[in-house]
Amino acid sequence: MFDLIGKRRWFFLFSGLITIPGLIFIILTPFSGGKAGLSFSIDYTGGTIWEVHFRDGTPDPTAVLAVLADQDLKESAVVLTEGPKGEYVRLTMPPIGLIEAQATPTPGPTLSPGASVSASPSVDASGSPSASASPATSPGAAPSASPSPSPTPASAGIELPTTGKPGEVAAALEAAFGPIDDVSQATAVGPVVSRDLINQALLLILAGSAGILAWITVRFHDLRMGVAALVALLHDIIVVVGVFAILGTFFGVQIDALFVTAMLTIIGFSVHDTIVVFDRVRENRFRHAGEPFSAIVNHSLLQTLGRSINTSMTVVLTLTALLLFGGEAIRVFVLALLIGIVSGTYSSIFNASPLLVVWHERDERRRQAQLTAARAVR
Amino acid sequence: MRRLIPFLIVAVGLLALAVDVLPEFPRPGADPPAFAETRLGLDLQGGLGGEYQAFTADGSTPAKGDMETIRTIIENRVNASGVAEPVVQTLGSDRIVVELPGATDQQEIRRLIGSTGRLDFVPIPTGTTPPGQDQPIDPTLPALFAGSEIDPGGVSPGFDQQTGQRTVNFKLKSDGAKAFADYSRANVGQYFAIVLDGTVVSAPVIREPILDGNGQISGDFTTAEQRTLVTTLKYGALPLALRELTFKSINATLGAEFLAASILAGLIGIGLVFLFMLLHYRLPGVVACFALVYYAVVVYAVFRFVPVTLTLAGVAGFVLSVGMAVDANILIFERTKEELRAGKTITTAIEAGFNRAWNSILDSNVSSLITAGILYYFGSSTIRGFALVLIIGVLVSMFTAITVSRSILRWVVRRPWARRAGLYGMREEEFTATAPRSRAREAGARV
Repeated sequence: MFDLIGKRRWFFLFSGLITIPGLIFIILTPFSGGKAGLSFSIDYTGGTIWEVHFRDGTPDPTAVLAVLADQDLKESAVVLTEGPKGEYVRLTMPPIGLIEAQATPTPGPTLSPGASVSASPSVDASGSPSASASPATSPGAAPSASPSPSPTPASAGIELPTTGKPGEVAAALEAAFGPIDDVSQATAVGPVVSRDLINQALLLILAGSAGILAWITVRFHDLRMGVAALVALLHDIIVVVGVFAILGTFFGVQIDALFVTAMLTIIGFSVHDTIVVFDRVRENRFRHAGEPFSAIVNHSLLQTLGRSINTSMTVVLTLTALLLFGGEAIRVFVLALLIGIVSGTYSSIFNASPLLVVWHERDERRRQAQLTAARAVR
Repeated sequence: MRRLIPFLIVAVGLLALAVDVLPEFPRPGADPPAFAETRLGLDLQGGLGGEYQAFTADGSTPAKGDMETIRTIIENRVNASGVAEPVVQTLGSDRIVVELPGATDQQEIRRLIGSTGRLDFVPIPTGTTPPGQDQPIDPTLPALFAGSEIDPGGVSPGFDQQTGQRTVNFKLKSDGAKAFADYSRANVGQYFAIVLDGTVVSAPVIREPILDGNGQISGDFTTAEQRTLVTTLKYGALPLALRELTFKSINATLGAEFLAASILAGLIGIGLVFLFMLLHYRLPGVVACFALVYYAVVVYAVFRFVPVTLTLAGVAGFVLSVGMAVDANILIFERTKEELRAGKTITTAIEAGFNRAWNSILDSNVSSLITAGILYYFGSSTIRGFALVLIIGVLVSMFTAITVSRSILRWVVRRPWARRAGLYGMREEEFTATAPRSRAREAGARV
């Protein structure tokens, strides 16, 4: 019979080889100031993204960057992308145009009957980018740069703001490159959400791992199995995050808010194969009581190998279809899932089970040592 | 019990099919009454959405009641703007999520949501008629006092027995009461306007001087108008300040493209899974494919019934869950093969396959439920949509794998034509169940 467990050192070595480079790039993230390691989308960093189509042809990205720089938006990025009307320009800018809170809920010009009549607290004084006031009188608000007329209103499209900072930016872009006749998406994320998300991501991954550790330990009445499953999980997470740290460094692939969802899904799924093997180990220990533990595990692994691969295969098939045909918007999410599930199958077979054997044999040796020590005393 | 299961399967399947295809399948317990519907998220049908954070002046956690009030006010404002099927939800302790499918006018919507709302009492100059309800007011007219002078506790709906009209009672705080007393004494017969964010809510005529700050607005209100006026006077201004955290808007055309792409990818993925199961498992594979179709029909029905808002990630989650749902079948079939090789007859092998694989199936699905549950409980709104899809998928798949596949297989293997090794991807010598007459022997063996 093929001896998988006997080759465990090679498997551990291979796992080291695929995790350590990724781990290095993950660790580089906080120290390199954004030059290496994970690249975060505006979900984490805060920012504004517009995807716009110019009626008179797509401008050169560097020219667009220059216009944005004139608007004090130097930290911007411009790339070309596909949209419903053909080639679109995607502008990634610092967060602009989010409504800041009014200082206190209802400030109101506190009452002094005689004065308030003359002080003219115009209805629009609250500072919100209100469109209702007649355009002639909006004294407090930003100089409502009336944008150059865009004569072709988008049919199903959305409109860019016309007031405030976003209004100014839109007007500057139209002045330079002609009218924007379609907007496929416009998103703004403030810095508050971003801080939340990073904390939340770590919390979710911790909670998920703890949940799996507890569940396996309880179901198999064996802490060692729980810990072995957990180690395999952490292996998968490091592999996926590491791959994206490397992709982020060299290809600028960004991770977004859905990335953590992929992590948790991987945590929940990659343990499936581990469970199947451990379940068989439990069964075989009763059937083949007396055989060495490593032989039992080896036997169980070989018996379940086919189904471990097949169960992952079906998921890999659906994910590959999503990756190839599901569109760009979820590509990072699906790729993360795909890598995690392949890694999960590998780590279940080649890490979790051999680790269990190593731990078992160490416990066994210790017990033997205690036994001989006890005999020696007697 | 075992005899009832086939009927249960057929009943659930037909019910699910009805929910899937009937355009007006009522949802019991829905208030107001509603039909089952496929609800698409913003990223699949286009529209506007935002997340807002409420905060208090002293930085303390907003009270639950205040959050509910804000939610109601925003919902009222959005409903009044004519957007179909808006979603306004509280999230966590201080967040409000607003989604407006199909809406395109960013500025108008953000004005509705993001502003705390300015309520003003504006006297109308002598000789002019006030603008009608929902009309903008001349912004140069000075306000007499602001809505903060209204005592929210003193606002209540009422009914005038003599005229038979609905009324709204209000009470002013001391400064407002004084100003209104002075003004109303000198201007009986004049109009004044109650103005929310520059738009007239109501413009009653002053019939008599209101000296102590306790007034009553009467008119030919409908109940709804009366309630709106009460809400506006009470909460016209939100109790807390709001900060806009995110705002997104997606073009409907782009959303439609995303939807088409995910459906195509899903169909291809599911097709590949079918092919794999048929080639690898033969006859049981056919059963698995049928169970998978059944699974998809039921899950979609649950989505329509709940209803679950399907986002791009949610659709991906559904496709992923198809790949996972078939896993239970794989575990069962592999185990069945093992039992066959160990010399069991086909019927007992299938029973053993189901029973022995059950532990692994349960443990695996529970671990998926643990992580999906954590995502649902702690996640933001996008993440929750995905988690809910996964949770529904896992629960339904346990039902379909255990009951549907099992019942059909039980029925199939009793047919004489089904007792050939080739149908299970096995060699003849590994296969013991040969003829239907072995049934009696099996019955004996089962004891």
